[in-house]
Amino acid sequence: MTTEFLWQLPTSGDGRYGNSKKERRGERSSSHHPYSDGVTDPRGLNFNYFDYLHQVARAAELAGFEGVRIPEDIYGDEPWIVAGYVARGSRHLKLLTEFDASRGSSVYAAKNTVSYQRFTDGRFAWQISAGGNQQHRRSLGDFAADSEIIPRIEEFVTVARGVLTQSPYTFKGKYFEVLNGGFQGALANHKVPPVYLSGNSKEALALSAKTADVHIFDAAGVDDIKQQISHLNAIAKQHGCQIGLGLRIDIIARETEQEAIFDAYRAWQQSDKKNGSHAPSINNNLWSGLSTSITGANATLVGSYEQVTQALVDYAAAGITSFLLSSVPHFEEAYRLGEYVLPAVRAQIGHDQQRRAA
Amino acid sequence: MTIDVFWRIPTHGEPSSHRSRTPHRGDWFPGDDSRAQSGSVGSGSDGTNYIDYIAEIAHAAEISGFQGGLIPSFPMTDEPWVISSLLARETNTFRFMIPFQPGFLNPVVAARMTASLQRATGGRALYNIITGGGGPAQLWWGDSATHDDRYGRTTEFLDVLKGVWNGGPFSYQGRFYQVEDAGLADPLSKEEYPEIYFSGSSDAALASASKHADYYLTWLEPFDQLREKFDRVKARTQILGRKIKCAIRVDIIARPTEEEAWAEIEKGFNSLSREALDKFQNPDGSDSVGAARQRGNRPATINSYKDLIIEPNVWSGFSLLRGGQTNGIVGSYEQVAERLDELVALGADAFILASTPHLEEAYRVGEEVLPLLRGKTDTAILRAVG
Repeated sequence: MTTEFLWQLPTSGDGRYGNSKKERRGERSSSHHPYSDGVTDPRGLNFNYFDYLHQVARAAELAGFEGVRIPEDIYGDEPWIVAGYVARGSRHLKLLTEFDASRGSSVYAAKNTVSYQRFTDGRFAWQISAGGNQQHRRSLGDFAADSEIIPRIEEFVTVARGVLTQSPYTFKGKYFEVLNGGFQGALANHKVPPVYLSGNSKEALALSAKTADVHIFDAAGVDDIKQQISHLNAIAKQHGCQIGLGLRIDIIARETEQEAIFDAYRAWQQSDKKNGSHAPSINNNLWSGLSTSITGANATLVGSYEQVTQALVDYAAAGITSFLLSSVPHFEEAYRLGEYVLPAVRAQIGHDQQRRAA
Repeated sequence: MTIDVFWRIPTHGEPSSHRSRTPHRGDWFPGDDSRAQSGSVGSGSDGTNYIDYIAEIAHAAEISGFQGGLIPSFPMTDEPWVISSLLARETNTFRFMIPFQPGFLNPVVAARMTASLQRATGGRALYNIITGGGGPAQLWWGDSATHDDRYGRTTEFLDVLKGVWNGGPFSYQGRFYQVEDAGLADPLSKEEYPEIYFSGSSDAALASASKHADYYLTWLEPFDQLREKFDRVKARTQILGRKIKCAIRVDIIARPTEEEAWAEIEKGFNSLSREALDKFQNPDGSDSVGAARQRGNRPATINSYKDLIIEPNVWSGFSLLRGGQTNGIVGSYEQVAERLDELVALGADAFILASTPHLEEAYRVGEEVLPLLRGKTDTAILRAVG
């Protein structure tokens, strides 16, 4: 299986500070004048944050990422709209779009997906999430109980795959139904979106094992990830499935380890963590408690280009095939990783694979 | 006061004329997937596809002076949310009129999508809320709500959408939708609420429209029926202390002379099969009241295209040439403009016009018909009424 690297589109803000909530680059705002009255601002209201998201997507493509992950964040822009917005400005980027199964009819999601696939040559992909805690879900009009989240995701995927691959397709479940559904003519037989799932519960792992194309692990040490992988693979084997393995991790990579550590501490000092009084816990190059609500991963790789490269190679050796990466500011850091880290990681992974094959 | 004129985007392919039923432009080949795709250069992501043709029409419409366009959604079409977000960046003034059925989307998700689309386009998104239609088509979408339930749900959907729009916190306990402490976050909460065009002819539809719609949108009907319908909608809305405008979705064929316009219809009609005419006379079941109103105006036997002329310059066979509504306006540039001005005089505030092929006809109608329209100038109303 080839290894893919996806960059994150920061849907809810980005800037050069650890607490990127401070900034939305290029945001159009009639009340906000960044310059003094004595200085002309030629931008007027001509740009806003979408122009920046477009630029990050272009950067990810030019820097050699296989795709972008478009996270669902209630403080940010809606991922399906963002996916469409960046689609025409990119040629090969996979558009991994996050949502949860309360967004509406599964048939309607599948039908919209057909148009995305037609217009992007099959680059649209789904990351379906649990949707936060109950209070959060209720603010989104979703009153499902915790125990219903996983079964609903399963039905959502079943119905969507059904109408995308069969016609007529009929299904009546607890959450979704369709009668004689499916697509005809020019809408028929388009690529079923790869489904990325996540979650650590027994139910979530079981669902991933039988349903997901890729299961996403939260960042953790490589030994920990190895254990989680063998556990998941064992469940998948019971279902006769083999699934891709993803890792969601943030990165602070610099020319030297000292620079990376310096920048990591500064980012932590600037971050909006409520528990900011606790210093990040550091295990080799893996820092916990550093990620901001913008980047959002469970832990951050901090180190020199060589150290970060080696860490990613180790994860790949453990079985990870999809890297979901993020770092602020996302525009500049996409180029940095694309230039200093990804080529070395790819070369090493290729080398390792050849050696194993020989 | 002025009137707004929109164009339409063909979302299930485009034939080269009203006489052709092969939608060969872009990549549409219904039922013939093996055929090489016209307009598709090579394969892979560097090739062009139907979105590139749609983009051409959107550009033609904005250059020709239209507000934007209706982007129809049916089981066999591409989807308007997708088209709008893909074309957001490469259009300047084109307003995306998105039809959708509220039952298909969580209203809070819809609010987030819409606010983001407003941000992406500088406020160029608007809705065409659809609720009617039913039977097998509705179940195809996975929706089994009954006719009147669907309108109740539409009303609740728009209650929630409006409630969360400016940030909340908003809570709601409806039959179909509930939210608790909901609201869009800044900066999404600062966007303009989308204008709402509302379709539906039944009493349940009018009740829902009168609460939430900015425009009551109807197909073209005989002019006297339309006047009566508009009066009814406006009266109902006034009871609620609201004002509503009226809009008409109408196909047109405009040519330098009336003879040329009818010749276009005649050629299209003569190319029809007996089968198509029979199906036209006896359509299959749907609970759409609007569709039934259109059938009611049809003669018992049809031998010539002339049998379908129901009043001056109005032909009721358009659905034979191209799916959708039956009534359309046919005539010289001047006649088409006059009929549209008459519709303004009896209550229309906006039009969604369409003609095949949408690309070339956007330029024609924009250059030849729109400049002749008087719209809401006082003299125009006096002339039309007199």
